Amino acid sequence: MTVVLNEASRARLLASLEEAYPNEGGGFLVGTRQGEQVVIEDVLPIPNVFEEAEQFHRYAMTPQNWATMEDKADSMGLALVGYYHSHPDSPAIPSEYDRVHALPHFVYLIASVVQARAVSLFAYELVDDRSTFKELPLVSAS
Amino acid sequence: MASIKIPTPLRAYTDNQAEVAVNGATVGQALQHLIAQYADLETHLFQDGKLRSFVNVYLGDEDIRFLSGLDTVIGEDAKLRIIPTIAGGNDTPRLDAHALKFGNGATIVLLLLAFVLNAPLLVAFVALTQLLGGLNLPFAPYRLAYQAALRAQLLRPKVVVDNAEPHRFAMLVGAGFNGVGAGLLLAGAEAGWLPVAVVVVLANLNFWLNFCLGCWMYYQLNRLGVPFFRVSPVQEQS
Repeated sequence: MTVVLNEASRARLLASLEEAYPNEGGGFLVGTRQGEQVVIEDVLPIPNVFEEAEQFHRYAMTPQNWATMEDKADSMGLALVGYYHSHPDSPAIPSEYDRVHALPHFVYLIASVVQARAVSLFAYELVDDRSTFKELPLVSAS
Repeated sequence: MASIKIPTPLRAYTDNQAEVAVNGATVGQALQHLIAQYADLETHLFQDGKLRSFVNVYLGDEDIRFLSGLDTVIGEDAKLRIIPTIAGGNDTPRLDAHALKFGNGATIVLLLLAFVLNAPLLVAFVALTQLLGGLNLPFAPYRLAYQAALRAQLLRPKVVVDNAEPHRFAMLVGAGFNGVGAGLLLAGAEAGWLPVAVVVVLANLNFWLNFCLGCWMYYQLNRLGVPFFRVSPVQEQS
């Protein structure tokens, strides 16, 4: 499985995470999933609704965010293909908390934001038996 | 017949169907009928017989947790919907081992260069760099240089489970030795190269053998309950 992210979406995604620093930020990835390729057409930043004091290491959306965006994507012939969030001042690898709260067949983009600057971005997907994430190739598109 | 709307990622287990027709008098029975049709869904929806904490089931606009949970009675044409709560976070103490290697390597090269060039000011620069790094300041030169190398894709992070604090303490110890060395050298005392040599040896031990003497000292002080040395080795944390 390869994840394709266009430059404009990548820039917007990273900017939203840098803006959220020192807290975690995040949002949805909308696009298409066909065969061995996920193409991200758009990124939709969503406010972090986790308890404010914990936002430095926690991110959450509301179920209503999901329902609204899923309906919208479905009506546009697209799909919610994944979500992204940041790990401020921490590496861009999934945590145990991420794994426990994850679904398979869904792309997780995680960015490391160090001192308000995004320094890395990696793509992952939970394996079917929920035991771990596997890293996916993340490629750029113009 | 009642129906359950499936969240996009889980449609991989329902032959890509967005909605599945189900039988049952309660939400729990409807979900069991769903799982009877698509068994692979179970592990993603339930844990130990209970809905996973991030899995919400809605009856119309109502979260069943605010009704009667899985015992909520449903009508024949009920519209149920499974909606995940997206959440993420970062807990485990982790660090980038390549960032540490980068710092150790730079320290070794710069100190050897200082010795060859007889440049005490370069020793002072390394001491200052280690001090800023040890204090975890954003403008620490090693950090800036390493981040530039990451952005240029010359290096990739190697994340390991470890505490950062002992490594920062080790940098402060190195800064202390180099600071004393630089002071002596700037005062004209050749003996200043001795503490510098100690740092070079320890940095090499760390670079080549992953042995961090400063970290070992940190954990000994932690074991003795010395204030400020509050982090215990990772495997001892609960």
